[in-house]
Amino acid sequence: MEQGTPGGAPMADGNTANNHEIREGKEKMKKTMKIAAMVAGLAMVLSGVAFSAGTIRVGHLADLTGPTGDVGKPYAEGVQAYKTYVNAHGGVNGKQIEMQMFDYAYDKNKAVNQYKKYKEDKVVAIEGWGTGDTEALAGFVSADKIPYISASYSAHLTNPAKTPYNFFCAADYTTALRAGLLYLKEGWKEKRAPKIVFIYPNHPYGIAPIKGGKEYAKELGFEILGDEDVSLKAIEANSQLLSVKNKGADFAWIGGTTNSTAVILKDAKKLGLKTKFFSNIWGIDESTPKLAGGAEEGALVMAGSARYGDNVPGMKLLMSVEKTPQVTHYIRGWVSMMVLVEALKRADKKGPITGESVKTALETFRDFDTGGLTPAKITFTSTDHRPFTSVNIMEMQNGKLVIKKTMNLPRKAEWLGL
Amino acid sequence: MHYCGDFRTTYEKDIEILQTPTVRIGVAACLAFLVVFPFLVKGEYLWVGLQILIAVIGAVGLNILTGYTGQISLGQGAFFGVGAYTTAYMTTKLGLSFWVGVPAAGLVTAAAGMVFGIPSLRLKGLYLAIATLASQFILEWVFLRWEPVTGGSFGIVVPRPSIGGYVFDTDRSFYYLVLAITVVMVLFAVNLVRTRTGRAFMAIRDHYISAEIMGINLFRYRILSFGISSFYAGVAGALLGHSLKYVTSEQFNLGLSVSYLAMIIIGGLGSILGAIYGAIFMILLPKVLTVLTTKLTMMIPGAAGLAIAMEQGVFGLIIIFFLIFEPDGLAHRWKMIKAYWKLYPFSY
Repeated sequence: MEQGTPGGAPMADGNTANNHEIREGKEKMKKTMKIAAMVAGLAMVLSGVAFSAGTIRVGHLADLTGPTGDVGKPYAEGVQAYKTYVNAHGGVNGKQIEMQMFDYAYDKNKAVNQYKKYKEDKVVAIEGWGTGDTEALAGFVSADKIPYISASYSAHLTNPAKTPYNFFCAADYTTALRAGLLYLKEGWKEKRAPKIVFIYPNHPYGIAPIKGGKEYAKELGFEILGDEDVSLKAIEANSQLLSVKNKGADFAWIGGTTNSTAVILKDAKKLGLKTKFFSNIWGIDESTPKLAGGAEEGALVMAGSARYGDNVPGMKLLMSVEKTPQVTHYIRGWVSMMVLVEALKRADKKGPITGESVKTALETFRDFDTGGLTPAKITFTSTDHRPFTSVNIMEMQNGKLVIKKTMNLPRKAEWLGL
Repeated sequence: MHYCGDFRTTYEKDIEILQTPTVRIGVAACLAFLVVFPFLVKGEYLWVGLQILIAVIGAVGLNILTGYTGQISLGQGAFFGVGAYTTAYMTTKLGLSFWVGVPAAGLVTAAAGMVFGIPSLRLKGLYLAIATLASQFILEWVFLRWEPVTGGSFGIVVPRPSIGGYVFDTDRSFYYLVLAITVVMVLFAVNLVRTRTGRAFMAIRDHYISAEIMGINLFRYRILSFGISSFYAGVAGALLGHSLKYVTSEQFNLGLSVSYLAMIIIGGLGSILGAIYGAIFMILLPKVLTVLTTKLTMMIPGAAGLAIAMEQGVFGLIIIFFLIFEPDGLAHRWKMIKAYWKLYPFSY
């Protein structure tokens, strides 16, 4: 933008100068014109050079202060930290990434307003956040051809036939649930069928994986006892858990967020349940011991990344940039920006960077190595946006997350988008 | 010839919509502004303008029910959803065009509104509010669980409308389409309240027993009011769905219903103009606050978190101040301002 002004200003000066000289003679005018044209031409060449080495505009919608701010903040910090690191180390093939974070406080209207602004600014991609903004913008990003990388891991976003411009960098909710079921079934030693209940809020986020998960549970030979509805804002879940207890469930899936999961775990302990709980990616994290006060012991979480300090190659860089220990959400934010930067690099090598070229570049990812920060290497194709179908199953032990096993599920075509 | 003060000699003159030349010029200027508006702004602000137009339809509809007929409804948000899902289903799953989808959305929502309006025969005031609140919860549940029609938790991607080969793909072209629909619907509402039906609504609001004694069929008019109001909500919801290109259950929650109620309270109950003011105010205020906090954040970088948190508080505070100092709404305030300047400087 700044490059435009030097080109324009001499032209304008030249013109005003001309007005005086018309009376004096055409000769002089021509000369002035020539100089003006040369200056303008030079400025254009210079600005052209400056532009090609210029900046890449990327949008970033985050929730720092809204209802999901507790997990949204570390995720957003991870995204920004990787951007700062890349900009300080040569940028994207010499180009700097210009990425202003906008705190939309989980307000869909604000997200859409800001999206319109990003579109006006001609961003080539957007780092998004949760279900709220991702769903609200899904229609727009595919129409406007702007890749949208977010942390809303609903399986329906992995089907490019429906949402061609949506991407994410963890196993989708349904795959995570399937991985958990398989893990539990593998460890099941008794003769009878294991009994399972599903506890989730009556909310798109909670409902999304249930259908696919139940089908797989049936396939594995689980006895499905039914569903319990615990809202994301629940402060107690006694009646629901009493019902779980009376049914005698061996396992219970929790599809909530950290707060509602902690409520469920606490009430389960109070009622003396023997049930083994396993929660989705947002249900249990490093903050759970504080929230659940010990009731979280033995609960499983279907995590989508390594932990801070794990001995994997990619962690060294992250730890050199961020010295204080971070939660897993931070690492996933970091990874999502790593993936976007790689796509920008690939798109830049092919030609001008546009939303379309970034999307095409993302779809060339074949076993992209995140340095062990994710449970598996990332692959996107034009017909399948599932990054991988692997999950790090972690268990809460003495207030710490312990990796039990990395489950690798087959990338079945019929599971795409379900 | 113009006389000083309100001086009318015929009944026709008394119910004229645009009574003075000043009003005529004002309305013409407003319409002209709305027509050139998309060329003055782009992107974000054009989008805000589009949202205001849609909100005007919804708010005018709710004001017919709450402001004119005196029946509080907490189900407007869900009725928006009925409209949005109807048009989404018709345009994507049945392959019908937008031009069928939107009127159908209005009619289906009107039918839904009439069903949920049945308790209004027996219930009034707060009790009716709770009954309509139930409709909000029931419909939200339906949106999430009736998967073959609503797409369940996944929602439905809807297209922008087209006519012939022309697609209303940009916000600008869609804005004009919405503007045309909004003008027609506002005009219909303005005319409605001058008819027998409109007067019946007001009679019911002011004293339902007297109204019944005068021969007004309470059941019929109450249900009719629900029907008309829901028709407006359905059309607005359908337009909202098409403008967002995506319909999911999250968009039509209780918060939306409450914000529409807030619109007509702030704008002025029982006034079409009030509903319009309220819609503008409620959509614009968060945007203005965002701009202010962004500016403030730029000046004082450390205050970012605080400023954004304050935004919510300030929003609430402004609404409370309005209810205390201007309980009759923006429409009333506007009347006061007009009266003041009419007689200026000799106000007595």
